[in-house]
Amino acid sequence: MHEWSESQQMIRDAVRRFIDDEVAPQVEELEHGDLPPYDILRKLYSTFGMDEMARARFRKQIEAEKRGEETKKKSSGGDPESRADQAAATLIPIIELCRYCPGMVTAMGVSVGLTAGAILSKGTTEQKERWAEKLLTLEHVGAWAITEPGSGSDAFGGMRSSARREGDEFVLNGSKTFITNGPHADTTVFICKLEEEGVDLRDRKILNFVLDRGMPGFEQSGALRKMGLHSSPTGELFLSDVRVGMDRLLGGEAALSRAGGGRESAKGTFQTERSGVAAMALGIVDRCLELSLKYARERVQFERPIGEYQLIQDKLARMEVARMNLQNLVFRTIELSAHGKTMTFAEASAMKLYSARAAVEVAMEAVQIYGGNGYMSEYVVEQLARDAKVLQIYAGTDEIQIRAIAKDLLAA
Amino acid sequence: MKILVCLKQVPHQDARLDIDAAGTWIKEDNIKFEINSYDTYALEEALRIKDAGEAEVVVTSIGPDRVTQALRTALGMGADRAVHVKDAEIDGSDALGVAKVLAAVAKEESPDLVLMGLMSDDSNASAVGPMIAELMGVPNASSVMKVELADGKVTCERELEGGALEVVELQTPCVLAVQSGLNQVRYASLKGIMAAKKKPIDVKGAGDIGLSGQVGAGAAKTTIDKIYPPPKGEGAELIEGSTGEVVEKLVGKIKELGLL
Repeated sequence: MHEWSESQQMIRDAVRRFIDDEVAPQVEELEHGDLPPYDILRKLYSTFGMDEMARARFRKQIEAEKRGEETKKKSSGGDPESRADQAAATLIPIIELCRYCPGMVTAMGVSVGLTAGAILSKGTTEQKERWAEKLLTLEHVGAWAITEPGSGSDAFGGMRSSARREGDEFVLNGSKTFITNGPHADTTVFICKLEEEGVDLRDRKILNFVLDRGMPGFEQSGALRKMGLHSSPTGELFLSDVRVGMDRLLGGEAALSRAGGGRESAKGTFQTERSGVAAMALGIVDRCLELSLKYARERVQFERPIGEYQLIQDKLARMEVARMNLQNLVFRTIELSAHGKTMTFAEASAMKLYSARAAVEVAMEAVQIYGGNGYMSEYVVEQLARDAKVLQIYAGTDEIQIRAIAKDLLAA
Repeated sequence: MKILVCLKQVPHQDARLDIDAAGTWIKEDNIKFEINSYDTYALEEALRIKDAGEAEVVVTSIGPDRVTQALRTALGMGADRAVHVKDAEIDGSDALGVAKVLAAVAKEESPDLVLMGLMSDDSNASAVGPMIAELMGVPNASSVMKVELADGKVTCERELEGGALEVVELQTPCVLAVQSGLNQVRYASLKGIMAAKKKPIDVKGAGDIGLSGQVGAGAAKTTIDKIYPPPKGEGAELIEGSTGEVVEKLVGKIKELGLL
């Protein structure tokens, strides 16, 4: 794949029109007001039939599971061309939304990608039907709770949240922070450790429980103030003696005897998260370049448009190089899907590392081209620069990506 | 019921327009195109009729390869098939030439309704709709704001000057040129866009529709002599000063001219 196909361009144009009509007029409220992103995201889903497509795919998978068929990989249906279109149909809305509101993508991705994804990969058929369908269609908002005040990059090692077994029940305790959609989530996947006598805290089994809003002992905080991604509500979760049955343990009884203690399956979730970051970075970079070109043509200093100065041209050229690289990474992601392949963990990490750095560099240079105006909220580059920074932190910091890449290289 | 929707592909509203070397049109290389906004309302109206009952919606457009994208977009929104009239011989046609081509397509298709926008965003002539009706020998209504179908008749509300509406009844087949804003135009769904690839686009030349030698620049009765940006006017007075001073001077000026 070397360019967007005709139908992919049509998807892009249609989504861009929706964003011009529905998102752009509300950016101020989303970014600087208290408007949560969910109703606009639901409208995006219903307008383009994304909810119906997700429901149909889900029903098909569930029916196959009930017939006892091996669950097929999600990319196995259709010919390579239609699989490419399917992948592009997922990535294009991410790119387009990130041109305006990367926070909306975070809110959407955590709900339909991470939360529903975790339930789909680890849950029983019954659990999938109970929680995943409504998350996949955005009818319900989901949160995926792993990070804690004392554990970020060392997610599992430092994790203190616990599940104590009492007969057929579990008693859950702990606190989580930086949880995307935390304040609004209807469904939360809570990741914790099984209390095991005589087993070191670092080695305990990892379990995933599904919580509903309003359960006794489960408290969801309001939104935290943060540097960027204002359109994505982030909060804290507090659990104090929350009693749940085996029906809320993802995977049920079998999860208690799973090898690897649940750590491997979370890695699959990290991988999905990482490959979405290239599309996010492409959206941010594309818009920053577009805005910078416009400004470079129009802004006159010393009686010439600033685009005529080589120092500005250097910035624009570097932005275009980053845009081309990111687009190629997105194309590679689509191409792999078309052929039913996935990236290695190290490759996804490398892609995430480059994408996050490119987005931050380009967005900060866009602020520089805009000068004083760029530092003002009125000019969009300021928001995009604040938003871009998170890409180097969440879904694994740059440093964690580097470690994953180096570990893979040195093992070969 | 069969509905033929005529679409024109026009430069995108955000495209940078530069005048070509001959000074008679704009440079078309490297600009983005889209479906004429008026025509999107016509397409939406056709799709609503289809949604409400049994109807086949056929879209047609004239132009080079790039026009395929406009037709695919319409197919993605829900049209059933497309006719693309592509022939260098048609280049340079005036409104009558375009109307001849579309009327020829309509004659082959024999639709109950021919729908299109009132005018195009680029040339604003509003001529093609009535011309097609005349060439087909069927009734026409322009500036249509509402369409109702019943028993082989179409009842339309037409927009008149001063906000008045006129209700007219037409026998089918007929040609309706619709005003913008008569409905809310849908977005093509992702599934619709993906399915559009499999819908047929029939490509025809001038000869295929019996118009060889009758259309194009040679047959045009109207030609564009020149296009140019309007010259800067004179007599504008710039009021300068602080906001308070500007307001005071402006109010004084309005009073001086007797406008208040």
